[in-house]
Amino acid sequence: MVELEGYTVVPLRTSPDAKHCHSVYMREHFIRLMDPNKPKGRTLFLLNVPPYVTEESLRTVFSQMGTIEVVEFAAKPGKDETLKWYEGTTEPFSTTRPPFRFKVAYVVFQKSSSIAKALALKSIDLFNSSGECIIKTGMELWHDQYENNYLLDAQKTKALIRKYMAGYDKRERAAAEAAKTSEADADGWVTVGKDGRNAGFEQKESVVGRLENKMARDKKTKELTNFYTFQIRESKMQNIVEMRKKFEEDKRKIELLKQSRRFKPF
Amino acid sequence: MLKVKRNPGKAPRTAKSKPKSARSDSVLDLNSAGEDHSDHEQPTASSDDGFEEPTLSKKTPLPAATNISNPAKKNKFRQNDPSKNVKPPTLEEMKELRDTRNLFHSNLFKLQVKEMLEELQLKSKYTDFIESWLESFTAFTRQLKDGLMERSELEVPLSLPQKASGFIFSKPTREPFLIGAASTGTLLGPKIVVDVALEMPKENLHKEDYLNLRYDQKRALYLTYVTERMRESSEYSQDRFAFNYHANNPLKPVLELTPVAKQVTKHLQIRLFITAPLSSFKPGRFVPWNNNIRPAFYGDEWDEGEEPLPSTQHYNANVLFDLTLAENQAHLDKAFKGRRNFQDGLLLLKVWLRQRELDVGYSGFGSHILAAFIVYLSQQRILHQSSSSYQVARTVWNQLANTDWTSGGISLAPASVQKEDASKKSASFYDVCFMDITGQYNLCSNLPLSLYQRVRAEAKLAVDLLNDMKLNSFPHIFMQKCPLYSRVDNILKITNYSCINQMLMLHSQPRFKYDYAKYGHPQLFQLLTELLQKGLGERVQAILPLETATTAWSVDDKAPVIGKHIQLGLILNPEHAYEVLNKGPAANEDPEGAAEFRRFWGDKSNLRRFQDGSITEAVVWGTAQDSPSKKRLIVRQIVLHLLEHHLQVEGKDVQYIAAELDQVYQLSPWYKIKKLKTKLPLVQDTDAEAVSPHVIRCYDELARQLHGLDDLPLDIVSISGISPVFRYCEPEPVLPQARLVDGRILASHVQRVVIQLGQSGKWPNELAALRALKMAFLIEIGEKLEAQCLLKWAITAKGLLVLKQGFCFLIELAHSKELALLKQEVTEKGVTTYVDNPASRHLERQQYILPKVTGSLHSLHQTHSAFGPTVLLAKRWLATQLLDDGLWPAMATELLVAHLFQQRHAPQAIVAPQTGFIRFLQLLAHSDWNGDLFLLNFNNSWQEQQIADLEHSYRSDRQSYPPLVVATSYDQQHVGRLWTSDEAPSQRVLGHVTRLARHALEIVETSLMSKDLRFVRPAQLFRASNEGYDLVIQLKPDLVRNSLCYDLGSPFVSFGQPNFELPRAGAENRVADIVNQLRSAYSDFAAFFYNPHGGKELAIVWRPPTEFAPKPFKVTEMQGCTPCGNGKVQVLKETLLEDFKLLLKDFYLRISTPEELKREQREHQQPRRYFNHPESSGAPPNKRKVQSESDDAKLEKPVKKKKQLIRNSSVRKTSS
Repeated sequence: MVELEGYTVVPLRTSPDAKHCHSVYMREHFIRLMDPNKPKGRTLFLLNVPPYVTEESLRTVFSQMGTIEVVEFAAKPGKDETLKWYEGTTEPFSTTRPPFRFKVAYVVFQKSSSIAKALALKSIDLFNSSGECIIKTGMELWHDQYENNYLLDAQKTKALIRKYMAGYDKRERAAAEAAKTSEADADGWVTVGKDGRNAGFEQKESVVGRLENKMARDKKTKELTNFYTFQIRESKMQNIVEMRKKFEEDKRKIELLKQSRRFKPF
Repeated sequence: MLKVKRNPGKAPRTAKSKPKSARSDSVLDLNSAGEDHSDHEQPTASSDDGFEEPTLSKKTPLPAATNISNPAKKNKFRQNDPSKNVKPPTLEEMKELRDTRNLFHSNLFKLQVKEMLEELQLKSKYTDFIESWLESFTAFTRQLKDGLMERSELEVPLSLPQKASGFIFSKPTREPFLIGAASTGTLLGPKIVVDVALEMPKENLHKEDYLNLRYDQKRALYLTYVTERMRESSEYSQDRFAFNYHANNPLKPVLELTPVAKQVTKHLQIRLFITAPLSSFKPGRFVPWNNNIRPAFYGDEWDEGEEPLPSTQHYNANVLFDLTLAENQAHLDKAFKGRRNFQDGLLLLKVWLRQRELDVGYSGFGSHILAAFIVYLSQQRILHQSSSSYQVARTVWNQLANTDWTSGGISLAPASVQKEDASKKSASFYDVCFMDITGQYNLCSNLPLSLYQRVRAEAKLAVDLLNDMKLNSFPHIFMQKCPLYSRVDNILKITNYSCINQMLMLHSQPRFKYDYAKYGHPQLFQLLTELLQKGLGERVQAILPLETATTAWSVDDKAPVIGKHIQLGLILNPEHAYEVLNKGPAANEDPEGAAEFRRFWGDKSNLRRFQDGSITEAVVWGTAQDSPSKKRLIVRQIVLHLLEHHLQVEGKDVQYIAAELDQVYQLSPWYKIKKLKTKLPLVQDTDAEAVSPHVIRCYDELARQLHGLDDLPLDIVSISGISPVFRYCEPEPVLPQARLVDGRILASHVQRVVIQLGQSGKWPNELAALRALKMAFLIEIGEKLEAQCLLKWAITAKGLLVLKQGFCFLIELAHSKELALLKQEVTEKGVTTYVDNPASRHLERQQYILPKVTGSLHSLHQTHSAFGPTVLLAKRWLATQLLDDGLWPAMATELLVAHLFQQRHAPQAIVAPQTGFIRFLQLLAHSDWNGDLFLLNFNNSWQEQQIADLEHSYRSDRQSYPPLVVATSYDQQHVGRLWTSDEAPSQRVLGHVTRLARHALEIVETSLMSKDLRFVRPAQLFRASNEGYDLVIQLKPDLVRNSLCYDLGSPFVSFGQPNFELPRAGAENRVADIVNQLRSAYSDFAAFFYNPHGGKELAIVWRPPTEFAPKPFKVTEMQGCTPCGNGKVQVLKETLLEDFKLLLKDFYLRISTPEELKREQREHQQPRRYFNHPESSGAPPNKRKVQSESDDAKLEKPVKKKKQLIRNSSVRKTSS
């Protein structure tokens, strides 16, 4: 068993007679600020997981060590990396898939005893008893993807949509209901919605921007510009500064072009 | 639902305090008020031509004012704002700065011109050398003695039927003098050619020497004599001597002398001209209407009583060139000496001319004409003495474009010399007329009309480019090389010696023979243009001679015979070139005309009755239904027919270069169209361009059906296709093969269609719900389509698949809310903002911008019918170089080609796809990717200011843009980030493409300009080299579908059994998917290449070894690493290979190096080759032997080069 920097290094075999295998680096997950989703003492951290390894396959391998709560991936160790990895993939009818590259994995066991058992593994074997790889690749994966993820069954999809929309409508209604009740909370804050008597303006960038612009415009109309001599002088000065700047810019541009030897016609 | 938290206690805003502060400001201001502000200057409008000479008079009032107020101001600046410390501007600075701002465009131009002129400036060592050389040469000529030339060791550089004997040399009485560029001070590198003239004394010439080329013989002998003496002299004996023809004129041999002097030998060459004084002959001896070569000289008989002797205006001009040289030169010198502005202006014009290759050869528009024209303009007071160089160039272009020298012409001679009627008379003997200072010699005597028009058109273009403020026109005018061959559409090349002789002997009129002193080239040009112009009529815009300069020969060798081959470039007229019919006069109304027509066209002409009832003679070249590629060959048909009918030149003896490369987008001959069940009229030799309209027609019908669907909750308001085929840019022929098998749709191509529904406020505000609803709509549409239009459909995660008439469409639903939801972000303040992110950008591009771009490109194809096929060629070329969409986005190709067609780089539009392709290669080869911005201003909707801003941001912040920046006016807010990215194409791929394009151009150019080679065969260009790759993964041929376009073979293996099995719709790019996966996971370790058009091999290049070296353990950099001892880790190629095998399970046949594969191929060469088309050169071993040796040598070189290319690119990776 190879140890490196506190990690247990085990080969990841895709077939019983695999010679050149990837090395997976395992250790118990431990950092100062623990993520509640990756509880201390029960989470196994795997480094250098090849791109084709799936959650299910890791689950299959590690379920021998004890019941598994969850298997999650991330591009690299760090806060919120797992969230980023799965961003946009969990919603229904989304076509986004998690990236296909080398990653890290977190395996959360139910019992902390499973960790030690897992760390004692000789190798991670991604094949079943008959020596077949449990990861779908090549033609098999392609076929599977096409049949199950690409093609949809119209009737089933319709039912799914109906169910989802019903849930959505319910949520919407609840939210609308909540918006109408304008009661102050414990700190004395009231949530103001678009509707109702005390409706606030929509907090959109465009709306806010428009208001701010209007304020600036109002202010401008009240001010006199280019009226007093000092203002004129200043604006003139500004003018000169600007022109100088532009000239310098042009010169720089030429300098740049000169460097790339663009002035030799032949 | 948006919510705002507001504290009820503190409702009033801080805004109120603001007016207050403003007020207080103004109170303060009052203190300093009171001074008058009358000196507030308005920027005076400057003249349009940016950089005038500093003429102060114009702006005197203004500087005076600033001057007065300056000292006072200085103090105030200090007082008011000590921190800024603005330096008060000086007079000059103010002026310059104002110019900069007002004339930004031309000011930048000015700076660029300045830089270029500096670059062109001759180093003093050259000027010093020229001076001293001339001095020593003068001394040398002084010591020459009169004498009889008995036997010369050198060959006389003139090939004439009779040899002159007994030449008596008389020593020159006049000192040799500089002529041409050396004299006017406008020598131009990189090869500096200094022209020196030595005048034969009058005594050397007899009264009778004007006749029958005697003058030319004397001239040649004189040159030989001087050369011989020079060789004997110790001073020159080391130098290299060679003879050459000046301007490809066999009567004008010159001595080319390359001095050995160390500092100049590389770049300097001296040419010695022999001239004669004007007074040598009787005045009027060489007026254009005189005959100076008697027919008897060539053994012909001419009955003078019946017909006066034919005039020999061109020969006369040829002699006059020598006779008037001294005077003309003196006149030019007077105008140019000491006038840097004129010299620079001429330099600019010369650069412009040389980039266009219009000054080459016998019929070239020499730069001496430009010099004389400048003098002419200043004589006419159109050019001012103090005009700047830029003004000189601009005025010359303007005047070139707007004056006509064809009828009457112009003249440098003062009115006293020139008599009105005489000049009219002499002008009528030439196409173009520009008389010199003596009023005798026509500077443009050898210039054919077409070339003159061409120069005018180019000049007009230059002016237009200068006027276009949206463009930095400098590189287009001066920097871009645009050889003439890339500006013509078709090329006719006749090099067959016996053919040429036959034409000259039998068909060229005798008077031309005398006129051109039996020089072949102009005679042929005359003969062919006359014939072709008559036959092609409106189809052709111009017929230009494509000449190459003759190469020098050693003085000991015989003078070569030139003019025995000709190359013509045809510029077609897109409106008429492809008409299938030549209609003659009506038979009953104009019987003579009809007979003449019949005579001209021979048996091709038939009497035909037309729909309007007229019965006329007509020639039919095809049918209106012919495919566009076939129609493009009509001109070729006509030319070959005319050559055969009139000149008895057979098609096999000439090369007509047109559509040589079109083959690559033809339907593969292995696919038998007969087996396809379809109602469409398809033929076996169809191509991608010809089948596109079928798809579009089917799509239009589908759109109609969609619009007509009843009972949809919301109406479909817009339907737009976004697949390349809708823009005529699909290089693979799309055939109606799609069908339903076992409930699954099979299709080789899926055409994507985006629809939009009518407005409704009820769409959900949540992404998932919105998508669910969209899906529901699509299912609804599918059901309605089946019920109402009987179309088969299937719903997929990407959209609705619809099968119609053998084509498969994927309908997507676009909704603006989806885009908004994707962009939506909430800032920390709780304000909702909309920010572009990759997902939203992708969606916007697919559903909103692509439809618009598709529409624009479609209409571009309607106006320029060569656009589509050019894209097809370009795409095919890139594909065969193993560059797929992931390395070089297909859209970038389309847009770059569109850029070619939109930008006016040439006076006329591209008509032939082949020309378009060559221009595309030029674009790839010569673009400066780092500095160039490719903007497509569709509908001219981009404002000048926006472009300027964009360019500014681009230059100042280059790093934030991808390596290749292409933008259209539809994606202004995403400029440069929509069509290309940092990865595709990457810096390395760009470099690779540039080298490939340069190499391809080289092949094209050499084959085009060479006398012996035929034009490149598609296989030479459209097949990648197999060298430079580390590994090749061969995929199972039966799992990868062959492309339907003409396959020129893979670089790695020979042809196998083609596989045209239909894939499932939506999964037709299996290899592309796999490669994308491999790239996303392993691009840190290897680069993957494959041919997206049916390539069955994946080529791999490993990243440089540093990537695989042992490195210390680092948690974030452990991808693919295995421990290797000492606590270090490394990436093992073997492990990665195992991964590839795993991912390509069931797909790969074997993994080997290209060398192994080649060896194996050789060993297992199957005796039977089923699928080798006789024409395809897919079987290199037995084909290549047939080729000539030079061809072979050429093939060898590129291979080596390409190997280097890839090595280079990998090396670059290490350094970066």
